[in-house]
Amino acid sequence: MSCSFFDSEPESKPDWKAYVLRELGQDAHRQAEAHLATCSICHEEVATLRLTLDTLSTLREEEMPRRIAFVSDKVFEPRWWQRVFSPTFAAGALVAAAILIHGTLRPSQIPQAQVEAAVNKAVSEVEARHVQEIQAMYELLNVRDKQVANMYRNVVLSR
Amino acid sequence: MIFREVEDPDLIAKARRGDVEAYNLLVSRWEKRVFNYLLRLVSNREDAMDVSQDVFLKAYQSLPKLDDPARFSGWLFRIAHNEAFSMLRRKRPETELAGEPRPADLNPRLLPMELSLAVETALGRLSPDQREAVLLKVYQGFKFEEMAEILECPVSTVKSRLYTALDLLKAMLAPMQKAALRGEL
Repeated sequence: MSCSFFDSEPESKPDWKAYVLRELGQDAHRQAEAHLATCSICHEEVATLRLTLDTLSTLREEEMPRRIAFVSDKVFEPRWWQRVFSPTFAAGALVAAAILIHGTLRPSQIPQAQVEAAVNKAVSEVEARHVQEIQAMYELLNVRDKQVANMYRNVVLSR
Repeated sequence: MIFREVEDPDLIAKARRGDVEAYNLLVSRWEKRVFNYLLRLVSNREDAMDVSQDVFLKAYQSLPKLDDPARFSGWLFRIAHNEAFSMLRRKRPETELAGEPRPADLNPRLLPMELSLAVETALGRLSPDQREAVLLKVYQGFKFEEMAEILECPVSTVKSRLYTALDLLKAMLAPMQKAALRGEL
């Protein structure tokens, strides 16, 4: 089956598949339609193609067995390596590593005697300071007592 | 006030800024189409479901790499295509993937309710490349240029696969079409 109109110029025959699939440009589409109106052979070819597409369109769309897990679901949570390379996790891990290294490298144990000596020294320093303060207060009170006694004597003598 | 549905590019922009709900809405818009496309490609519901899940996960992770949000659908189907063929390569020998279509022997006296199954059978007899071309064009409505991007091949290859597929389908479905026209279906 062939179209007499295009037999002389087969290369100019419209691409009927592109036509039914709406892939022709506007001009080509108009030319094709104009030809279809006059050519029963091409009209039949197009009708067969459309029938095939109509038959294909009877394929029913399947329902999904279940919905796709959403981003908020566990399946979308980042994997362990994605967490490791995230900036927040990396910063936290860096701080934790620094603390660990510091804890590991510092002297493991201070001798008990050294600790006790330091504590005793600190306690005796504090006690000595307290003694000095009490002594100063005592001396101040003595001075004031003497002043009061003198004032009292002066008052008695003046009578 | 004129109601305007939120467009995909708006949702993509929000999802890129970390709006999980926006991406969830995108998933609910596209999941059925992607699932049906994959179902026809891999011919197994559970496999299609698993690959669909992978597709949307991969798309979420790759969303920052999407250059043009207006071309989301093509980009999404390209991911689906790659995931499907990656899965098929793992599950089947290479020879089966490049298999030639078998001759048509469909029963022309089918009940109308079986026509859909007949189409499914006819699609199953195409080579994977031809079937995918039909799925993208006839069922998903992509343009030749978009199909070429999804399949990463020239437009001429897309047209060649599709046109051959249509010729084969026409031959396979012709007996049923004639019966339908005669009122036998």
